[in-house]
Amino acid sequence: MTDDGDEGGDGEVVVDRDEQPTLTTDGGAPATADDEQSATASYVTRWLSDAGIAEYLGVLVVAVFLVVVAVGVVAPSSAPGQFVAILFSKGTLAATLRRTVPIAFAALGGIFAEKSGVINIGLEGLLIISAFGAAAIAQVTGSVWIGLVGGVLASTLLALLFAVACIEFRADQIIAGLAIWLIALGLAPFASVVIYGSKNTPTIDTFDRITIPVLAELPFFGALFDNSPDVYLLFVAVIGSWWVLNRTRFGRWVRASGENPDALDTAGVDVSRVRYAAVSLSGVLAGLGGAALSISLRGFTGNGPTMVNGRGFIAIVAYLFGNYDPVGALLSTMLFTSLTQLQLELQASGVLSIPGPVVRTIPFVTVIVVLALFGKTRIPAAAGDHFESGEE
Amino acid sequence: MSDGGGLGARLRTIFDRLTSASAGERLAISVSALVLSIVVGAVLIYTAGLIAECPRPAFAASCYDPLTVYDELFLKSFGNLAADPLNGKAATTLGETTILVFTGLSVAVAFKAGVFNIGTQGQMVIGGLATAVVTYTASQAVSGVVGTLVLLPLGVLTGAVFGGLYAAIPGALKAYADANEVITTIMLNFVATNLALFLVQAEFKDPESFANQTRTLPAYAQFPTVVFPDTADFSLVALALAVTVAVAAAYLLAATAFGYDVRTSGLQPPAAEYGGVDASRTVVAAMTLSGALGGVGGAVYVMMKLGNFQTNVPAYGFDGITVTILAGNNPIGVIAAGLLFGVLKSGSINVSVATDVPPELVGVISGLIVLFVAMPEFFRMIGTRFTASRPGGGEAVATDGGRVESGSDGRRVESGSDSGRVESGSDRGRVESSDNSGMSLGDGSSGDRESDGSDDRETAASQTATASDPPSTAESSGGDPA
Repeated sequence: MTDDGDEGGDGEVVVDRDEQPTLTTDGGAPATADDEQSATASYVTRWLSDAGIAEYLGVLVVAVFLVVVAVGVVAPSSAPGQFVAILFSKGTLAATLRRTVPIAFAALGGIFAEKSGVINIGLEGLLIISAFGAAAIAQVTGSVWIGLVGGVLASTLLALLFAVACIEFRADQIIAGLAIWLIALGLAPFASVVIYGSKNTPTIDTFDRITIPVLAELPFFGALFDNSPDVYLLFVAVIGSWWVLNRTRFGRWVRASGENPDALDTAGVDVSRVRYAAVSLSGVLAGLGGAALSISLRGFTGNGPTMVNGRGFIAIVAYLFGNYDPVGALLSTMLFTSLTQLQLELQASGVLSIPGPVVRTIPFVTVIVVLALFGKTRIPAAAGDHFESGEE
Repeated sequence: MSDGGGLGARLRTIFDRLTSASAGERLAISVSALVLSIVVGAVLIYTAGLIAECPRPAFAASCYDPLTVYDELFLKSFGNLAADPLNGKAATTLGETTILVFTGLSVAVAFKAGVFNIGTQGQMVIGGLATAVVTYTASQAVSGVVGTLVLLPLGVLTGAVFGGLYAAIPGALKAYADANEVITTIMLNFVATNLALFLVQAEFKDPESFANQTRTLPAYAQFPTVVFPDTADFSLVALALAVTVAVAAAYLLAATAFGYDVRTSGLQPPAAEYGGVDASRTVVAAMTLSGALGGVGGAVYVMMKLGNFQTNVPAYGFDGITVTILAGNNPIGVIAAGLLFGVLKSGSINVSVATDVPPELVGVISGLIVLFVAMPEFFRMIGTRFTASRPGGGEAVATDGGRVESGSDGRRVESGSDSGRVESGSDRGRVESSDNSGMSLGDGSSGDRESDGSDDRETAASQTATASDPPSTAESSGGDPA
């Protein structure tokens, strides 16, 4: 998923960029231009011999996809043709992007928390509480932007509670995360009934679409430049998160705090403080996602698993699949959401006809399959562990 | 029964000695968490009452009176026992308890094995649907008392088999594909709900009903109410089954070879493997057993409470998580915690009838309970505030101010035992992650600590002292360490 240094670069904290050529050539002789060709060839053969079922399956899926697209282009009126038309329509991309926003924001939040050593299973709860907070405050104040801020605040407060439980009181991170989810799952409908007498908030305003002239006219990719502000906000957040994690001192601290907290502590940085900051940041990011969800759908619905409906958990898989890289997380989220969107559109146009409940299982089944095939991501070494300064 | 309870208690103490927390402390933490949750809940009720609108305040400017709410929630859950010990409210409470004991046991068995089965809800849905369908079909062939004697075991067994198989999926995925079971089980909950909806709509729908439900089982295919009136959604037989299964689970975990494998896998996976336990097989077996218990919960829900399967299954599976966490994963404790949550569940109906307070309150309280039980350190801190020293903790200074002041010998010893505990803490399922940490620790300072040679002790101790100095000043002054 990530384009730079999947094998070594991502995991190691103190990796020097100059080391990477040595890593890719297997630590042998220094790479020269002549070796380049043979290195590529040997890489291919090595891949073929090393490839597991996951890799072969991936290649198979891509091959089938290419065949379908080829058939579709040749015969536009056939079922593959309709499929291609929908696949490359602006509407599909625009809708996929809107669907991506909450999950990708939560995934970004999850990356910061887990990179710092705190596994945040409670992302779902953060999405729920911010979705409700944003809807309620937008409804009261009449401004979606104040609502957005309100949602972020609600989520950040809940994330802080989680941080205090995990860092100060050394709670088991998984159980505390579940608790955060359960609390939000109860609290949001509770508050909604108290205020509105119903588990659903009244309809609220939504974001105004921002259209960038000229660029919005582009075929297909025009959808990137003709969308609601939360989509743009997501792009900014993805790039910003990548930059913070990989190019700033704080990002280095976050990674060290998850990989080797002892070293960070020895270097004189307060590990707890870094973790507090990272978990709060995950609250802010997830809050943006939840707020964008309820605002773009014009209100909060709190029945059953609420309108968030598992997005927080899908986000966790998205960042695992994206190998803890913000860009990777965005792309893997888009993989899930485009599948969902695609089947919805195919359903609507009559190309596919599968009963509704079965269709709704698709994203969840996809997550399970992806996790089973690509589940062996390298989690930060100290994730899940408590850290006590001074080696207590 | 009392014999079994005594056995369970004895074995529990053995187990607790293993986990280095005394049974008394565990109980104290659970009770404190409960009390604290109730207090926070009261504050929440009061505050919510300030926001809500009502003609006249019920309690000091608030529309909601916490005392009334808790009265309805806890005390009214058993109705008027003096007038009629078999009243409807008591029956509802005990009925909820019965189902919660099964789901609580389901989660407990998995947790004991170090597997976070969050999928009891889905396993219960699948088990319940299978029971409703199979038992209905079979009920056409038999009837009367013989029918009951055949159909009840058949229904329970069907629930167990289907719930178990459904849980074996994430178990196998964890054991053989390293897929995190927290995520897969949660995903499978969503899948189960939608799958059940689809199956009921497409295949098993009661043609005479508009709702998405299966055909109603004949009376002889449901749990007999025994002494309770026929209208009660509760059966003493089912409760007896729940208690028996809980005792059996306690025995299985504490006194059998399988239970030993499960517990060691949960506490120390590397040690278990070293001792010859097949980790993968244990994970799958524990998950299957866990799912089977959840499936029985679904079967009891169908054959005792509803009489058919309805697609909107209440969140018994998630409550099961709370129940077992409150019970400290102890099967016998699950009975008590199940009763408490049975009270809360049936009490929430009373709350919604008698007051304006939304019954979703119970969800918040159970979330708070989970959170508080998860942070025993919080209560230990409060505990050390009030008692001079804590048993086994050494001098009060070391436990109290231990994290602030710089290194002393006492704490270096603790650090050794602590790192051992951390490794067992990472049994969350990734053995190789601890291996990784070992590898990435290959650099200087921590290498000293790893080797733990007696010569290195002095230097390591002095390093510790210097390393912890800046944070300690930072913490005491509240300034920035950088």
